[in-house]
Amino acid sequence: MTEHHPPSRSHSRHGSAPAPQSALTRFGAWLDSRTGYSTVVKLITDEPIPGGARWWYVFGSILSFLLVLEFATGVVLAAYYDPSTSGAWASTAFIQDSLSFGWFVRGLHSFGSSALIVLAAVHAIQVVIFGAYKAPREMGWLSGLAFMGLLLLFALSGYGMPWDEKGYTAKQVDFMITGTAPIAGPFLQRLMQGGETMGNYTLTHINAAHTYILPAFAVLLLVVHIALAKRNGVTPKWGVDEAKLARHTQPYWPYQASRDAVACGVTFVLLALIVIATHGAELAGPADPTGTYQARPEWYMLPVYQLRKYFEGPLEMLVVVVSPAVVSLLLGSLPWLDRSADRDPRRRRPILFGALFGGIMLCVLGYLPIRHDAHDASFQQSRAEAEERGQLARTLAKKGVLPEGGLAVYRNDPAFHVRELWNEHCATCHAFTGRGGKDGPDFLGYGTRPWINAFLRQPDGPRFMAGAKYEKGMKAVAGTDDELGALTELVYAQTGASDVDHGLAEKGKGLMSEKDCDSCHDFDGTSGNTGPNLKGYGTLAYLIDVIGDAGDERLYGAKNKMPRFASKLTPEEIADLGKFILAESRKQK
Amino acid sequence: MADHDADPRRRFLKLLAGGTTAVLGALAAIPGLGMLLHPLRAKSAGPANEPIRVAAVPADVKPGKPVRVDVISNVNDGWSRYDKVKLGAAWLVRSPEGRVRAFSTVCPHLGCGIDWDDKNGKFLCPCHQSGFGTDGQCQYGPSPRSLDELEVVATDTEIRVRYQRFKVATKTKEPIG
Repeated sequence: MTEHHPPSRSHSRHGSAPAPQSALTRFGAWLDSRTGYSTVVKLITDEPIPGGARWWYVFGSILSFLLVLEFATGVVLAAYYDPSTSGAWASTAFIQDSLSFGWFVRGLHSFGSSALIVLAAVHAIQVVIFGAYKAPREMGWLSGLAFMGLLLLFALSGYGMPWDEKGYTAKQVDFMITGTAPIAGPFLQRLMQGGETMGNYTLTHINAAHTYILPAFAVLLLVVHIALAKRNGVTPKWGVDEAKLARHTQPYWPYQASRDAVACGVTFVLLALIVIATHGAELAGPADPTGTYQARPEWYMLPVYQLRKYFEGPLEMLVVVVSPAVVSLLLGSLPWLDRSADRDPRRRRPILFGALFGGIMLCVLGYLPIRHDAHDASFQQSRAEAEERGQLARTLAKKGVLPEGGLAVYRNDPAFHVRELWNEHCATCHAFTGRGGKDGPDFLGYGTRPWINAFLRQPDGPRFMAGAKYEKGMKAVAGTDDELGALTELVYAQTGASDVDHGLAEKGKGLMSEKDCDSCHDFDGTSGNTGPNLKGYGTLAYLIDVIGDAGDERLYGAKNKMPRFASKLTPEEIADLGKFILAESRKQK
Repeated sequence: MADHDADPRRRFLKLLAGGTTAVLGALAAIPGLGMLLHPLRAKSAGPANEPIRVAAVPADVKPGKPVRVDVISNVNDGWSRYDKVKLGAAWLVRSPEGRVRAFSTVCPHLGCGIDWDDKNGKFLCPCHQSGFGTDGQCQYGPSPRSLDELEVVATDTEIRVRYQRFKVATKTKEPIG
């Protein structure tokens, strides 16, 4: 590894090697004679660093390293990401929660982008302090600024790609802001959204921008920026005379290279620790166009977000567009505002104080919304609820997400599924309204004493069997309140309730033949009579039997009009429906 | 620049730069490769391996007249779950003993869809012309084995088929997954 470039002797084309050489060295010499690669390697390794290697020269290399890391993790993520409204959130949740190392790679990519912006800012601050933008390095400064703009576009597009509540709402706001811009606004909004609203086009467009177009520009700008840096050399500390710098010149390899490598290593370790500590980047629940998620922009956009609060109406737009433009213009014209050859900061106070003031303003404007939200109870609660939704959605996503899109993940919730089953198979006849189903009993209060009592008094009432339209159905039970109370208790005892008055139920049993109940109903659970066998009436097991096959001779027999669900639904679905009916029947309406 | 290779500090810095780069590359490569190679280790969350009811009843399957049925089930594919999609298809055949048998429509040679040639009373692979009898036996062509039989559970009123996929181009029938 350390000797990977060929020794200087092999540089000669007709290398006559007296000493025995290793196969690798001979291969290197052969390859060099055909490609001349050592010239390129030497250009980098032998680059003279006037005044010698310094730790404060490492930031450019860290930035290059982070970019390579973003490219590499981005390619790996692209191998699993699905840029469509049906798959974007689902595939991101899959990367985050199901793929080996998925959360780690996604975390590196996400936190790496923030690190890039932080370090680009540090790099720029250093350039300002050293006066490194001065002639002949103006183009280096401008290409660096352009790169920063590119980084922001990368981050803005990447933020929307998971298509979660957070990214979706933030992009919605971005597009709306763009749309209010004068003249080109509506056109730009339509172009970025891919139409009048956000949808598949939005994702295919931001995906194309983020993974193909922007990286192409990034590579181009990076090559230009680094070539300029190599051509014009590092900017040594101010006030050191040329002769002294020349005396202490060191080659890049290994003096600066070792510092750069260590700095990149430290950066990676810190980044990895942050990713591990946070278990990767955040992923909220799936995008909900009707949701009320409280959108906030990415952290580096917070200053603009805050500034916008101080202006209203058309001025708001002005702030969002004009303030970044003014800042960019000021930064871009810095080499021409500060033209003296002197790089000593002590004699460039107006520029440095201006930059310091700008930096502090950015920090304050960025901090204010964070502090505001931290003290806003309703914001905190809304975020906590969103967090809970996100966790539920991600747990449910492990069962796979239906092609309708991220929101369909909630249909994986058994509670959601059973309600769908009820709506599809039961609600056409039954209800929980207390006013009666269309073609069958209403289950509000089913199995409670008042329900049973009311049933006995009027079995063909609207809440009960009226909808079923039985010929020769059950007759109303005539009797005193006490008698009906006793019969009610007899049926109620079958539900297995804990507060059964067994004495009263016994009394009810005694009334069975007097009131002619026993000619149709049995309580043994086995015999089939004209009416349902009431053993276990109102229990889950009873409901499962009825749903499975109400036409069983133990139940409604030949009179039954309800479909047989044993062949339509799975046993689990039928049991879930039974539990659902019991739970819904006890809800107060 | 003079060659300072004898300088121990320079040697150390070379080692430091090279070593750090190598370790860094390896550290970053582990999670990346681990994620890329996930499909090699992950079990495909296929359909529940239960016999699936098909749209035919035993009375539909007459001797010498195979019936093609789709096997439809819920499928998990990566992050998606699909309700009621085609897993595959089967040819239902009435055997001489009167039993209903099912053969996968996937040719054991290279996976093309097996068709029924009504004129000659044979199953034919349209890609490489293997021919199979109604008993599934390969009669000619490059197929290394007979058609893959699928388990059938039949009652008077319904037919259920346990759908499976098998490795192609092998002499023996080996299920995938």
